[in-house]
Amino acid sequence: MSRLDSLIRRLRAQHACLAHAAELMGHRSGPILEVGLGNGRTYDHVRELFPGRQIIVFEQFAPHDPMIGPAGDDLILGDIRDTLPAVAVRLRARVPLIHSDIGSGDRALNARLADFLAQHLPGLLVPGGVLVSDLALPGLDAMALNLPPGVSPGRYFLYRRR
Amino acid sequence: MSRLDINIRRLETQRACLNALADLVRDLPGPILELGLGNGRTYDHLREILPGREIFVFDREASAHPDCIPDAAHLLLGDFHETLPQAAARFAGTVALVHADVGSADRQRDARLARFIAGFLPDLLRPGGLVASDRDVAFARAQPVPAPAPAPVMPGTYFLYRRAGPTGPG
Repeated sequence: MSRLDSLIRRLRAQHACLAHAAELMGHRSGPILEVGLGNGRTYDHVRELFPGRQIIVFEQFAPHDPMIGPAGDDLILGDIRDTLPAVAVRLRARVPLIHSDIGSGDRALNARLADFLAQHLPGLLVPGGVLVSDLALPGLDAMALNLPPGVSPGRYFLYRRR
Repeated sequence: MSRLDINIRRLETQRACLNALADLVRDLPGPILELGLGNGRTYDHLREILPGREIFVFDREASAHPDCIPDAAHLLLGDFHETLPQAAARFAGTVALVHADVGSADRQRDARLARFIAGFLPDLLRPGGLVASDRDVAFARAQPVPAPAPAPVMPGTYFLYRRAGPTGPG
């Protein structure tokens, strides 16, 4: 499989998982969290799936083009390990959907981030709220959901607060 | 349509076009030119679907994933304005396929670059040689190649041409 094939598969998986999560989330209110802005592709997609909804975005560095992310306080810049804990307290059990896409080629860093996210993200979710992640989050097996059709196991991960 | 939707369609169009031209290029000898290495995704795809074929890559710098950078003999670094005229002399009339993925957000710059590239295509390509580009590089003696079907092709995303000549179908 070429890198072109691989990227298409990843974006298709993202698309399918977000559509599935949106369905599961239903009419639950509250802000949506996007962990990792990158080039703003999925932020734009989430914004289109939920017009008018507050989307809070976490990103390490300011985007090269400010238009690709949210304005003002909804863009939280810095290392997620510094910025998330305060938000996790403030928005405890209020978030219906979290999309986290911060994995990289650095496996050791991915493992540390996955531990951190597994510790802080679940408490943010409302009952029935959904967490979509590109990294497997350790210790959340009881929350894990099956992936939507067409998404290969291990490419994306879905969790739901009971 | 979101930027995620657009990206998926664009990449699927790109892949469908490259796969379709690869089917035609298998019977057409000669090197392949990749104009724009970028992160090396389509170079990786081309070498996978056309194993054993010689691929020369042109770019200002090699910033791709290390696995997707060709060896020095197949990497022609520099501004297209310098490397393309040299290539036109070196590969005169032998090239089987040119893939140019050179678009940016600056449409005027892209149009100028597309015209510049188009000027060299008749000299580079062998008769029947093929071109795929994300910008319209219509050149003298170019015949449009129909977009692959059935495939998820997004109109205006990719342009396919063949140099008229005795070799190859059409």
